[in-house]
Amino acid sequence: MAKSGDGIRILQGLLVFGNVVIGMCGIALTAECIFFVSDPHGLYPLLEATENDDIYAAAWIGIFVGFALFALSILGIVGVIKSNRTLLLVYIILMLITYAFEMASCITAATQRDFLTPNLFLKQMLERYNKSDTDNNNDKWMAEGVTKTWDELMLQKHCCGVRGPSDWQEYASAFRSRHKDADFPWPRNCCVMDAQGSPVNLDACKLGVPGYYNSNGCYDAISGPMNTQAWGVAWFGFAILCWTFCVLLGTMFYWSRIEY
Amino acid sequence: PRPHAEPPVLLQPDGATGPGLPHKPKPSMASSTLGGLTTSSTFTLEQPRCIFTDLQDDVVIWLVVAVPEGRWDAARPRGEHALAYMTLNTTLLNYPCPKPPGEIAVLRVGSETSCAEDNTRPTCNGPLPGPGPYQVKFLALMDSDPVAETAWSDPITLRTGTAAGVLVPPVASSRSRLAGSFSKPEAVTVRRYNTHHVYDQPAARL
Repeated sequence: MAKSGDGIRILQGLLVFGNVVIGMCGIALTAECIFFVSDPHGLYPLLEATENDDIYAAAWIGIFVGFALFALSILGIVGVIKSNRTLLLVYIILMLITYAFEMASCITAATQRDFLTPNLFLKQMLERYNKSDTDNNNDKWMAEGVTKTWDELMLQKHCCGVRGPSDWQEYASAFRSRHKDADFPWPRNCCVMDAQGSPVNLDACKLGVPGYYNSNGCYDAISGPMNTQAWGVAWFGFAILCWTFCVLLGTMFYWSRIEY
Repeated sequence: PRPHAEPPVLLQPDGATGPGLPHKPKPSMASSTLGGLTTSSTFTLEQPRCIFTDLQDDVVIWLVVAVPEGRWDAARPRGEHALAYMTLNTTLLNYPCPKPPGEIAVLRVGSETSCAEDNTRPTCNGPLPGPGPYQVKFLALMDSDPVAETAWSDPITLRTGTAAGVLVPPVASSRSRLAGSFSKPEAVTVRRYNTHHVYDQPAARL
């Protein structure tokens, strides 16, 4: 039996509107995830060295899911307007698959928050920064990545160590085994630099005179962007999923009401 | 020319080498706002400004660093079983009084890494081998004769690195703790060095 014409029209209108929103959100999710994957803060080598770059995997999935959502929303709009059972069945099945992928991506990104702790980055920095005796190519690659990333991080964000320069004093490290404590209480990049990239006053930096060395830690500069990425992918994805759930329910109801 | 090394001079526990040697306030650590006040092989003292005010300008001020007994690393080129060494010598002219405000006048003990292994430089201000505790005092010499000195400082302990799940580099750890009442070495033997040539080493002082 067919519903009254007005009811069907309203349902169709709602479904088209729902799909338009899904399409736009899909494009937004793709754009957001491309932004994260492009690693604007240059922190990817740190994650790579922890051998757990799940938030990047979640972002990659987000790129493809967003594009899929956009394509499927167009299919959904066409199917609803034409009231075509086949098109709508294809739409529902593909949308469920995309839903599952997006759910996986969101949960992965959301659970990363507990993984990115100060101690994780501290241990990695102490073990890999400036490490010279690497075991194999992979180890060498990771050590170089970590060293380069930390050097740029300390230079650009004006910070030193994870919690502060005392990290280099309190703990043994690969850096400490290569450089004497008297010459390098902390790495050179912890010093305040002039325009040419050399320390303003090296002796004052070694002494730890306030103003000549970076006395704050880099943890905020690392965890800030990473948490933003994790939360951005996770919670925007969850919002899209909630909306998509409603639209899917409506589409299934509409599909069941279409006459053959 | 003087001989390179003369018979050692004994300094008594209370710091006097003989009757009537003036006693000065003990050396103090630099301001705690310095992030590198103590590291694992260096520490930083305030310069002895306005302390030796009654002496002539050409007096040489030395820093005497005393090591806890029995802890001296045998690899140090300072003579076997030395209990103290002298370093950071400079004329009183380099410690003008009063100190200009805003100037950071410090002495960094342990900063010279270039001469640490050099046996020909026994007065090298090389990195300290262990966490101490060390005690220091300033000694004023006029032609190798002591004319003034400060009291011994409070014991200075350096930072020790702990393992954060990381291997700690091997440090001589088989030392026994000193008793809590220990405040000065029992006897200090100080080799007299040829101070005929006085080196002005502003870079070495930091």
